[in-house]
Amino acid sequence: MTLPLTLSVAAILFALGVFGALTRRNAIGVLMSIELMANAVNINLVAFAHYTNGVAGQTFALFAMALTVVEVAVALAIVVLLYRTRRDIQIDLASEMQR
Amino acid sequence: MTPEMVWVGLQPLSADLVLTAGLLSVLTADVLMPPGAKRVLGWGALATLITAFVALIVLEPTGWSFGRSYHGDAFATFVKAVFYIGGALAVLAGLESSESRWPRRQGEYHLLILASTLGMSLLAGAKDVITLVVAFELMGVPLYVLAAWSRDDRRGTEGALKLLLSGGVSTAAILYGLGTLSGLASSTQLELMANHATMMPTPFAAIAAAIALAGVGFKLGVVPFHFWVPDTYEGSPSPAVVFLAVGPKIAGLVALVQVLLAGDDGLRLASWAPLVALATLSMLAGNLLALNQSNAKRLLAFSGVAHVGLMLLALAMGTQDAIASLLFYTVAYLFTNAGVFLVVHALGGDGSIASFDGLARRNAGLGMMMLVFLLSLGGIPFAVGFWAKLYLFLVAWGEGLGWFVVLAALVSVLGLFYYLRIARAMFMNPPADPTPVKVDTSTAIAIAVCVFGVVGVGLYPGPLVAAAEVAARAIVP
Repeated sequence: MTLPLTLSVAAILFALGVFGALTRRNAIGVLMSIELMANAVNINLVAFAHYTNGVAGQTFALFAMALTVVEVAVALAIVVLLYRTRRDIQIDLASEMQR
Repeated sequence: MTPEMVWVGLQPLSADLVLTAGLLSVLTADVLMPPGAKRVLGWGALATLITAFVALIVLEPTGWSFGRSYHGDAFATFVKAVFYIGGALAVLAGLESSESRWPRRQGEYHLLILASTLGMSLLAGAKDVITLVVAFELMGVPLYVLAAWSRDDRRGTEGALKLLLSGGVSTAAILYGLGTLSGLASSTQLELMANHATMMPTPFAAIAAAIALAGVGFKLGVVPFHFWVPDTYEGSPSPAVVFLAVGPKIAGLVALVQVLLAGDDGLRLASWAPLVALATLSMLAGNLLALNQSNAKRLLAFSGVAHVGLMLLALAMGTQDAIASLLFYTVAYLFTNAGVFLVVHALGGDGSIASFDGLARRNAGLGMMMLVFLLSLGGIPFAVGFWAKLYLFLVAWGEGLGWFVVLAALVSVLGLFYYLRIARAMFMNPPADPTPVKVDTSTAIAIAVCVFGVVGVGLYPGPLVAAAEVAARAIVP
């Protein structure tokens, strides 16, 4: 695998994540799509670090993982809250406020 | 390492260290304290923010910390002062209302405000991309919890979900964009990243920069990434909106300043067109969408979108004068927007415009203060909002953006129309419920601080302009 090839994989993964985040109607589905985007970020960072012999990218990837975990922990708590108040986690149902 | 060397390295972060110490104390005390005594925690949070503010003014933190990842200068000091005041206003708003509304959870409320303020504060001097994104997340994640604070309110959960999902996409986009730029430059220093991106402009670097810009756009809530803003404001508890509406927006702009103005100006010049487009769209759409709202929180949310558009224009121009006008605008935005949302909070109720009916008769003082804030939002002379707009328009005119100034001035007249709808409800309509509105002491103090800011700076803008110019000189040589 060369650097451009690895970056392409990451780019495709990121695009898939964006597509999923915009089209999914289930809150967990959207969160999984966001995870895909976050994984694309990490592949990118690690690939750059590997092919340019830098450690900064690896460090950045570790921080990026920690940030994603923090975000997902809060996100799942809010989805549970959504389920408790509505008995459903379809996000198009969660639009009672006026546009 | 001698103690002196440690201090030289930490001095730029002295105010942030005060904040961290206060944060940990409030956290520990919250866990150990019996439920009845938790009111002290709010006072602790307030004392922390005031101490941090004093440390900032007295110590004037300057220099590099942790290698070249953090730099204290006049710019960082200026925006930190804005963030601390914003945090203190939100703590004051929640001090007494949380005692009556959620007594067992009040420690957490103040803790989240402190954590988010610490994130903004670190952002103010971040010169390394890892520091920048970690600080940005430290600011952002507590906001999700604050937005979901009313656990049994369906609207609150919905608003939090929208903030969370757009925030998650935005974080991933910022990480992808900045991570790619950092990988291409083989460095995590923002300065080197910016210079590398301009010296070797590839389509890949351009796309990465655009994705990162879109990510920050989500956080700022600029059109077309603004859909979550009104829903989150409407659903969040009103003391939290005082915080949400001010700090995070200014912090998003500060993050953009750090990235775009690092290095030799090339990255800013390259992003000129998209930034001006986003600014124009936000200014127009924010004002037009605000026209037709029946809820004051939503109306003010759209008006905030329009104000962020104006500030984004100042950022796009990026000269020393423009950054000074941006900094002046952030102070105007702080006092005015925190002020209106504090009044909405003091009034209670659902925030509909109808709930303002006859406020002048129910509580004359509150009505007058709201009028002052609304006039400042509309840009009426001798309120701080007027000077902020005038300053920005003068700079924009000098930069050859006359068309934007004319457009913005016309739309501002439109803005007056919807701000005065609230004023008309307060002064002309008969009250549905004639009982006087009682405002708790801490909220009243916070409103008084905002009025003092709006009128005081409105009458004597000179010292603040001078401070903004000094701060701008630190970031644009």
